[in-house]
Amino acid sequence: MRNYLRKSAIGAVLLSVALVAAACGSGDGAGAKEGPTITVGSANFSENALLAEIYAQALENAGYRVQRNLNVGNREVYFAALESGDLSLVPEYVGTVTTFLGGSASSDSDATYQTLLGLLGDKGLTAASYASAQDKNGIVVRKDTADEFGLSKVSDLAQYNGQFIFGGPPECPNREFCLIGLQDVYGLQFADFKPLDVGGPLTVAALEGDEIQVALLFTSDGVIAAKGFVLLDDDKGLQPAENVTPVLRKDIVDAYGDDLIAVLDAVSAKMTTEELTALNKRVGFDGEDPDAVATDWLAANVG
Amino acid sequence: MIDFLGDVVAWFLDPAHWLGSGGILGRTWEHVQISAFSTVAAALVALPPAIWMGHRRRGGIVAVAVVNIGRAIPSFAIIALALPISIRLGLGLGFWPTFLALFALALPPMFTNTYTGIAEVDPALVEAARGMGMTESQITTRVEIPVAAPVIVTAIRVSAVQVVATATLAALVAWGGLGRFIIDGFAIQDNVMVFAGGLLVAGLAIATELGFAAFERRFVPSTASRSTSEDLLADVTVAPQHG
Repeated sequence: MRNYLRKSAIGAVLLSVALVAAACGSGDGAGAKEGPTITVGSANFSENALLAEIYAQALENAGYRVQRNLNVGNREVYFAALESGDLSLVPEYVGTVTTFLGGSASSDSDATYQTLLGLLGDKGLTAASYASAQDKNGIVVRKDTADEFGLSKVSDLAQYNGQFIFGGPPECPNREFCLIGLQDVYGLQFADFKPLDVGGPLTVAALEGDEIQVALLFTSDGVIAAKGFVLLDDDKGLQPAENVTPVLRKDIVDAYGDDLIAVLDAVSAKMTTEELTALNKRVGFDGEDPDAVATDWLAANVG
Repeated sequence: MIDFLGDVVAWFLDPAHWLGSGGILGRTWEHVQISAFSTVAAALVALPPAIWMGHRRRGGIVAVAVVNIGRAIPSFAIIALALPISIRLGLGLGFWPTFLALFALALPPMFTNTYTGIAEVDPALVEAARGMGMTESQITTRVEIPVAAPVIVTAIRVSAVQVVATATLAALVAWGGLGRFIIDGFAIQDNVMVFAGGLLVAGLAIATELGFAAFERRFVPSTASRSTSEDLLADVTVAPQHG
């Protein structure tokens, strides 16, 4: 009799524990979202990977299932992945991506953004709101070069055609906002072109070591100020508006609705050029871990 | 697939792709330059000590271990590490860091195989030569090197082919060579150019292999063509009178 009571008591306890555990397990917090995993990707340079990490963490904080695939490659590579569905979201730059898709970009952020939306629609893609933060291609020289030749704007380089060596990413000779534009809009001729990396340590080292005299870096890169380089003014307006714009697949937006866009917009609202430059400096120059910097920034700005 | 191969053929048939500093001929010559320079330099550094140590049959294990560091560290890492030093020393971007990596890659096979080839020459031959009154250096130059010659040349051939295949890395640090087609093609997603670059490198590596094989057939006596050690001994005993 006692044995039977003991066994049923144990059985009852075990059953209640199991039921409670099951109830706790399925509840998993108020934010757990049912739906496709969002694969966040980025281009192969640190600023873009950092932006992607920030958007990814913001989505995770809101309960979405997120997977990362950062540093995929240059635009030809990652945009193809976005179109094929291997990536769901990538942080883009409104001017360059519009031109990439065959549209025309200008220094008017709004107009360029509208053009972009139209072009994305044909590919099953869309974009969340753009941030005020911009990151444009920057033509940079060392301070001693600027002083010696009196350089303050890009058009100043035209007087020294054939004298300077230009360094930038390998795709630069094929890019409208890189060598093609510098030749067509500014009439520049360089002594040579050195294919290096995408505004990264190779280009910086080459510029510092005078292997190149003119470099392509990015305007939001903290290294320009840190190394005392001179960013030449884009006086003929070759570079269009380049606001940070999250581009994502329509099927992801359809699955989750406006809440998803709201999460992205909340991040973009706080992303200014000053914020972006400061973030780049923390990761690229102070050597902080990008994941920690992203978490930090989100906690301080978006909550 | 057929379309793609058709595009590749068309790429090769376009004369603009052959001429000029960025053309196939120019890039191949650059590739040959850095490959040959690195292989010859590695041979000059590897062979004398390997032959000397092989003759003494001493110090081999330690030497081989040290030399294998060149194989253990990825060539790409060597280039990345050497680059800032190269810039600071005013040696430029692409050539010297790549040379260092290729040199480190070419060294191990040449050293190890030469050491082993010399050390494993039939001891009977070496003893016979010693018994004849040959000096140590005569033994090395008249007995050990000729006998080990096929192994040594094979070692150089293996290194050379590896170097040719790896010299594509030079394009990552703003130098030329056939790697340019691969890196630049990838940057603009021109798969035809990437594929063509790969074919060119493979072709050059095969040509290197065949070139060495022809050289070996013509100039290097093979021990397989001698039937026994006695025949070799007979040759050796004759040699001093000709000396």
